Amino acid sequence: MTSAATAQGKPRRRFKLTKRVFAYPYVLFMLLFVVIPLVMILVNAFLDSEGALTLENFKTFFSQENSLIILGNSLFVGVVTTALCLLIGYPVAYLLSKMDSGKIIVLFFVLPMGINFLIRTLATKAIFIALDINLGMGTVLFGMVYNYLPFMIMPLHTSLSSIDKSYIEAAQDLGADRSTVFLKTVLPLSVGGIMSGITMVFIPTISTFAISQLLSNGKIFLFGDSIQMQFDQGLYGVGSIMSLVMLAFVLISNFLMNKLGKNNVGVGRSLW
Amino acid sequence: MTKRKLLLIVLLAFTAVTALSLLTACDPEGEGGTGGSGGQDELYIYNWEDYIDIGLLDDFAAYYKEQTGRSLDITYTTFDTNETMLTNVQRGGANVDLICPSEYAIEKLMRGGYVANLSELVAELEAEGAEFDNIEGIDEDILSAIDEVFGDIDGKAMRDYMVPYMYGTLGILYNKNVISEEELEEYGWGILWNEGGNPELEDEILLKDSIRDTYCAAVLYLREYGKLPDGVSPSVGKPYTEMSSAELMNCTDDALLAAVEEALIDQRGHISGYEVDFGKDDMINEIVYADLAWSGDALWAIEESYDEETDDYMLGYYVPGIGSNIWYDGWIVPTTVRNKLAAVMFIDYMCRPESAARNIGYIAYTSAVDRDAVMNDADAIGALLDVEYLWYAEDDGACEIFLDGAGNRIFRYDWGDGEPYLLEADGSEFEGDESTLRPAGYSTDEDGLYLDENGEYIVDADAMNLFFFDEARYPVIDETLGVMQDYGAANDRVVQMWERVKAGAETPWPLIWCLIGVAAVVALLVGGYFLKEALKARPRRVAGSPGAPERQNG
Repeated sequence: MTSAATAQGKPRRRFKLTKRVFAYPYVLFMLLFVVIPLVMILVNAFLDSEGALTLENFKTFFSQENSLIILGNSLFVGVVTTALCLLIGYPVAYLLSKMDSGKIIVLFFVLPMGINFLIRTLATKAIFIALDINLGMGTVLFGMVYNYLPFMIMPLHTSLSSIDKSYIEAAQDLGADRSTVFLKTVLPLSVGGIMSGITMVFIPTISTFAISQLLSNGKIFLFGDSIQMQFDQGLYGVGSIMSLVMLAFVLISNFLMNKLGKNNVGVGRSLW
Repeated sequence: MTKRKLLLIVLLAFTAVTALSLLTACDPEGEGGTGGSGGQDELYIYNWEDYIDIGLLDDFAAYYKEQTGRSLDITYTTFDTNETMLTNVQRGGANVDLICPSEYAIEKLMRGGYVANLSELVAELEAEGAEFDNIEGIDEDILSAIDEVFGDIDGKAMRDYMVPYMYGTLGILYNKNVISEEELEEYGWGILWNEGGNPELEDEILLKDSIRDTYCAAVLYLREYGKLPDGVSPSVGKPYTEMSSAELMNCTDDALLAAVEEALIDQRGHISGYEVDFGKDDMINEIVYADLAWSGDALWAIEESYDEETDDYMLGYYVPGIGSNIWYDGWIVPTTVRNKLAAVMFIDYMCRPESAARNIGYIAYTSAVDRDAVMNDADAIGALLDVEYLWYAEDDGACEIFLDGAGNRIFRYDWGDGEPYLLEADGSEFEGDESTLRPAGYSTDEDGLYLDENGEYIVDADAMNLFFFDEARYPVIDETLGVMQDYGAANDRVVQMWERVKAGAETPWPLIWCLIGVAAVVALLVGGYFLKEALKARPRRVAGSPGAPERQNG
C-alpha cells in the first residue's frame, strides 16, 4: 500500500510478483487456522460457562487428581514410544547409511507415511482382531511406534549418511577399535539427527488421541482424549486450560531439544 | 520497517476481531445463507445427524407450495450432541425455526425461555385458517409419560411446547449364538459385567463411550445385584434400594457415584472397550458379542444380521426387566422463529403416518406417531413395503389365508416346527373361534404371491406382527423405564468420575518412575559429556585453529 506521495517520488512501481507475494496465502492460512484458534483457546480459558471472566478453570484442572494422572499416562506413552522408536530406528538407520542401496530401502520405510494414518491404524486394529489379540496398552504402544518410526528413521538416516567417511578412517588410523569409533565419532556426529528424531516423535505422541482410542477401544485414555471429552461435555474452560498445558509441553520439549541440539554439530539439524 | 509494523498491527487487529466475532456467534448455518427475496419463504431446521429421510424435505417443500402457493427454501443443519445444540442456541447463534433435541435438553431450553408455546402457536395459526390434521396423532401414552416425568416446568407443561418425534430404549444388543435367553433373564445388566462367567463373552463386551448411558446401565446393575449403597439418599429422601429406575439414573449423590465408579472400574477387566459408532458393525462382524445399545441402532443391526442359511437373525436385543432408560426426541419451535407457518406445517407433515413410516424405514428408531395410525394407513404400509420391513403374503406352504364371519382376513401359519398360529391382518393375534373360518380361496401369481379378489397383493400378517408387535420397537411404557434428566450442577462431578474410570486404576507408576529415573541419568550423562567437550574445545578455539571439523558442516 504505497501512498501516492511516495509513489511519485520514486520511479513508478507496478505490482510485482516478488517472492514475498507467494507467502501471503500461507500467512492468511496461518492467521485463520492457527492464530485465531489459539486466541479463542486463550480467551475461553478465562471464561466460565456463563461467559464471565474467571480463574476457576485453572483451579479445577490443577486440583483434579485424575487429570494429572492422565497427563502422567500421556507422558509415559510418549516417552516409551520415543525410546522404542530410537532403539529400533537407530540401528536401522545406521545399517542403511552404510549400504549403497540405503537410500532406496529408506523409501520403503517412508512409503507407509503416504497412506493416511487413520487408515493404517484401522488396518492395524483389524489385524489385531484377526490375531485375537486383546486391545490394550500393548497394542497402543505398537500402533504408536509403527506410526512414528519413519519420523525417527528419516532424520537419523540423513545425519548418519552425511557423516564424512574420513572421520571414521581417521579414527581407525589412530588405532580406535570398532566400538570406540562408533562411540567417539559416529554417535557424537549423529546427535543432531537423534535430537530432531526425538522432537519429531515425542511432540506428536504426547498429544495423540485417535491412535490410542482406536487401538484400545477407548480403554487407554490419554491427555488428548481427555481434552476431547471436556469439549464434548461443553466444559470449554477446562478443555482450553488443558490445551494450553499441552501447548506448554510442546513448547518446552521443543526448546529443550533445540538447546541440546545446538551444543553439538548440527549435521542433521539444518536438514530438518 | 514501519510499514511492516503497521501491517503487523492491522493483521493482529483483524485476528482479534475475527476471533471475538467467531466466539460470540457460532452460527450453525455457516456462511452463505441465501437471501430471502422474490416471494420465497425460508425454513431453517436444526436436527440430529442422520435423523430424517432426506427425501421428506423436498416432499415437504412441494407440499408447502401446493398449500400456500409460495416456494420454500429449506436450510437443514445438524448437530451431533445435545450439548453442541444447547451451546449454539444459548449463545444465540442458532437462528433456526425448528429444533429436534432430547427431552432433557428441551427442559433446559424451556427453563431458559428459549422455546415458544407450540399449542398457542397452533391455535393462533388455526384461527388464521391453517389446518393441522396430523399433529394430534401422537401416541397419547408418550405424551402422558413425558408429562409425568417433567411435570410442571416453571409453570409450563412440556406437551404444550414439544411434539415428540422419535423415541427408544437402552438395552443389550447380544449375539444369540453366545448368549442364551436364559442367561439374559438370569443376569440382566450383569451380562455387561459377564457375571455369568461365560468364557466366550469375556473381553468381548462393548460399552457406550458416553457417561449418561453407561451410568444408567451401572446403577441398574447395582440394583440388580444388591450393590447399591446403604442408607437414605440425601437428594431423594428414600433408601437407595427403594428408589425407582428413573430416580436412580438421575441421582448423583456422592455415595452412588462412588459405587458406580467402583462398578465401572471393576467392569474394565471384562470388556473390550468403549464405543459410540462402531459397536453395531463389530456386533454384525462377530468381533464382540454384547453391546450396550439404543433400540434403533439395535434394530438396524439385527436387520443386518439376517443369516440366509439359518433363516434367522444372529443378533437380538434385550431390555432387562429390572428397568432401563427410555428417551424421547421432539420438535420444538424457538421463540426467535421467523416462519411460524412453515415450522408448524413441517411438524404436522412429520406426524403424517406416511412420513413416520418413511423415517422408521430410514433411521430404524420408533416414531412417536400412534402405532394404530401407522398400521392402518395405506401410504405408510406402502413406505414400509418399499424398505422391505414388510412384505407380501406368499403361498409357501406355511401361510394360508382364511376369512372370518365378518369377511376379515385371518392368516394361519404352520412352520412345521411348532404350534400353528393365527394372526389378524394387522399382525395381532386372532382370538376368535377357528372353526368359523372359511378358506379365502385367493389365487397366486407366478411367484406364488397371493392376490385378492381385486388382483391386489396382500401384506403378510407375520411381517406386520414382527414389525408392529416387536417389543424392542414398541416397548411397553411402564414405570421400569425411566427418563434421564439433565445432571445439572452435578455434571462436572459425573464427568470427573467418568474420567477416572476411563483413566483406569492401572496406571503403571513403578514403571513410570523407573523411566523417569533412567531418563534423568541419561540426561545427566549426555549433559556431562557435552560439558566436558565444551571445556576441552574452548582452549583450542582461543588458539584459533581454523580446521575445526565443526566448520565444515555448519
